[in-house]
Amino acid sequence: MADALVLEDLTKVFSKPAVDHLNLRVRAGELYALLGPNGAGKTTTLRMVAGLLKPTSGSIRVFGVDALAEPAAAKQMIAWAPDEPMLYDRLNPMEYLEFVSGLWGVDPKEGRARAETLLKLLGLWDQRGQRCEAFSRGMKQKAALAGALIHDPKMLILDEPLTGLDAAVSRQVKDLLQERVAGGATVILTTHILEVAERMADRIGIIQNGRLLAEGTLTELRERAGEREGTLEDVFLELTGEAEAITA
Amino acid sequence: MIGRPGSTLWLLSHEIRLSWRGLIGGRRGRIRMIAFGVLAVGFGVAGVPIALALRGVDMPVNPLSILAADFVCTMVFTLMLSQTLAGAADALYARGDLDLLFSSPLDPRKTLTVRFASLAGTAFTAFALLVLPVLIPLAIFGHWRWLSLLLVLGALALGASGAGLAVSVGMFALIGPKRTRAAAQILAAIIGAAFFLASQVRTIFGERSTSMWLQLLALANDPRLRLPPQAAWPLQAALGDPAPLAVMLAVGSGIFFVVTAWLSRRFAADAASAQGADAGLRRVSRGAAGAFTGGVFAATFVKEMRLLTRDIALLAQVLLRVLYLLPVTFLLLRSAAGHEAFALPGGAAAITFMAGQVGASLTWITVSAEETPELLQCAPASAARVRNAKLLAALAPLALLLAGPLAIITAAAPAAGLAAAAGATAAAYAAGLINAWYPTPGKRSDFLRRRRSGSILVGLAYFFVSALIAAATGLAAALLPWALIPAVLAVVALLVLRRSPARIAEALAAAQS
Repeated sequence: MADALVLEDLTKVFSKPAVDHLNLRVRAGELYALLGPNGAGKTTTLRMVAGLLKPTSGSIRVFGVDALAEPAAAKQMIAWAPDEPMLYDRLNPMEYLEFVSGLWGVDPKEGRARAETLLKLLGLWDQRGQRCEAFSRGMKQKAALAGALIHDPKMLILDEPLTGLDAAVSRQVKDLLQERVAGGATVILTTHILEVAERMADRIGIIQNGRLLAEGTLTELRERAGEREGTLEDVFLELTGEAEAITA
Repeated sequence: MIGRPGSTLWLLSHEIRLSWRGLIGGRRGRIRMIAFGVLAVGFGVAGVPIALALRGVDMPVNPLSILAADFVCTMVFTLMLSQTLAGAADALYARGDLDLLFSSPLDPRKTLTVRFASLAGTAFTAFALLVLPVLIPLAIFGHWRWLSLLLVLGALALGASGAGLAVSVGMFALIGPKRTRAAAQILAAIIGAAFFLASQVRTIFGERSTSMWLQLLALANDPRLRLPPQAAWPLQAALGDPAPLAVMLAVGSGIFFVVTAWLSRRFAADAASAQGADAGLRRVSRGAAGAFTGGVFAATFVKEMRLLTRDIALLAQVLLRVLYLLPVTFLLLRSAAGHEAFALPGGAAAITFMAGQVGASLTWITVSAEETPELLQCAPASAARVRNAKLLAALAPLALLLAGPLAIITAAAPAAGLAAAAGATAAAYAAGLINAWYPTPGKRSDFLRRRRSGSILVGLAYFFVSALIAAATGLAAALLPWALIPAVLAVVALLVLRRSPARIAEALAAAQS
């Protein structure tokens, strides 16, 4: 399987290293969950991949494209959805999706058609004329997700996509992500809801202090942690050393 | 949207659409539009007679008109600079759409150039809308060349935007991304107030106060005055003289495009790093151990004081209003030195009124902008004690601020000083009580917006109660028994405004829902 994302010695230093010589490979067409304690460097890593932060050193390749040398070409293939939905309160979802289509150079007719499909799929069609300012958290999250999908990205990067969503919306988002993966897209997500990673992810990477601690399928991680029957939570706590902290 | 998707024109039309919807959106937007319409009609009605009166009249190019034009241009430039400085910080650090734009394949420089251009456009539009109702009739009735005033405004807007952006980036380099926004807003307020202070220079420095226009007239009539030819350019440009107009446009656009080209590359990196760069790095001094002991009142007071002193930018935003007190303070100083007895009561009243206004802002921060209201409601603490601790914490910075002017009055006339101190305390405390009775919950970071979005009736209540207490203070400082009348009226007003804890809780729940 080809690599969708390759990070080599990726480093970002603010006053201290947030990401520290991180090496990571995500395969095309897989759902990869990036886990880690608070402040581990997950969001910083993803922001660098999305072209929002300049790394201090290291390289980023997106489907073979050097994202630092050719940022526009890399961004064309990526969609970034942060934990706080990136919406304009004063636009309605249809206008928002048309705008995002324009940013990614989607043909306007095609963009409108995709917007209609996505809004219907996500249950926002009836609210297409309402401004986003009146939306609930879940509706905003869905509108932002539609924005991330409108240009049919090869790689979706989602930071805590399920935080604050009710069960129904959460299910909708999970189904949509799995559909995208089944359709060949690559999804990289961070989450603190470990059950989500456990059920959805093909592979899981755990980072701490900006470094990759462990990576693999759940079975591989269990073996590594010596937790053959354990849940991902047990494995995560064991690998990050937080299990000791809890029992201490 | 206009233009090919992804093009500069298309992005610009997106910015204009957002600005327009911000202007007309919601109930306030409609009120704004009606007010603007009334103003435009008013201006238009005034503009036609002016245009008719000036029909066939040529504007003289003499020292007075040249100086007046230079003065107006400088004032407009300064106000535009103030506007663009705050706008630059907001556009780059407050609007949350940079992530979306930067994560798209569009060149970040294009995105930023459009955003910078929209800043210039906003500055231009504000002033253009002011002059158009007069300018259009003037153009219709023969002075069509005077429409070039719009181009002069455009040149000033471009220059001011370039300068504002350069200052903003300079601050970014000096103090970091997080503090730049607050510092830029403070600087913008200072620049905005600069003209007021400049107009009061003679008051401050003790000469006889005259209006700026009279000073200008005196200067223009001074036979020793020798103006360089360039001084006439703004006036000549506004009157449609092509060469000075071309120079002004070239200078304004030159500043804008050079600064924009240089900065957009740098800003693309800076604005991106603004997210998270300072996260978790700010060190706060460790308070003395046990500072939160001593009961509900002491703990709440200490907590509020810490929060206020750790958000100096917010505190500065509030206290900057006191810039307008400077001329009064200097006037007091001079009056006290010259034993001008009647100046002191006026000063005491002014200080009291200002204390009420600033007190309202500070108490909004401590009372309404409580970050954990439910924590306090759950705590086994008396709501009145918590409220009083918060009010006291809000009044402490005000007391420090007013200590100087109050000392001046007290030194000159102890009774007046006492009246001013009591009046200022009463006005600030009354404002705090109104805040507590009519809470408008919000985040500290929303301070400016929230203050503007409060109820009009509550705003009027602040104003009238402060004004009544100020009047009582002024009369008391003059040792006049009439002071009792406004004082009693203020107390009655407060009694009418007073709400029971149950009604406050209801209002709070309604405001939070």
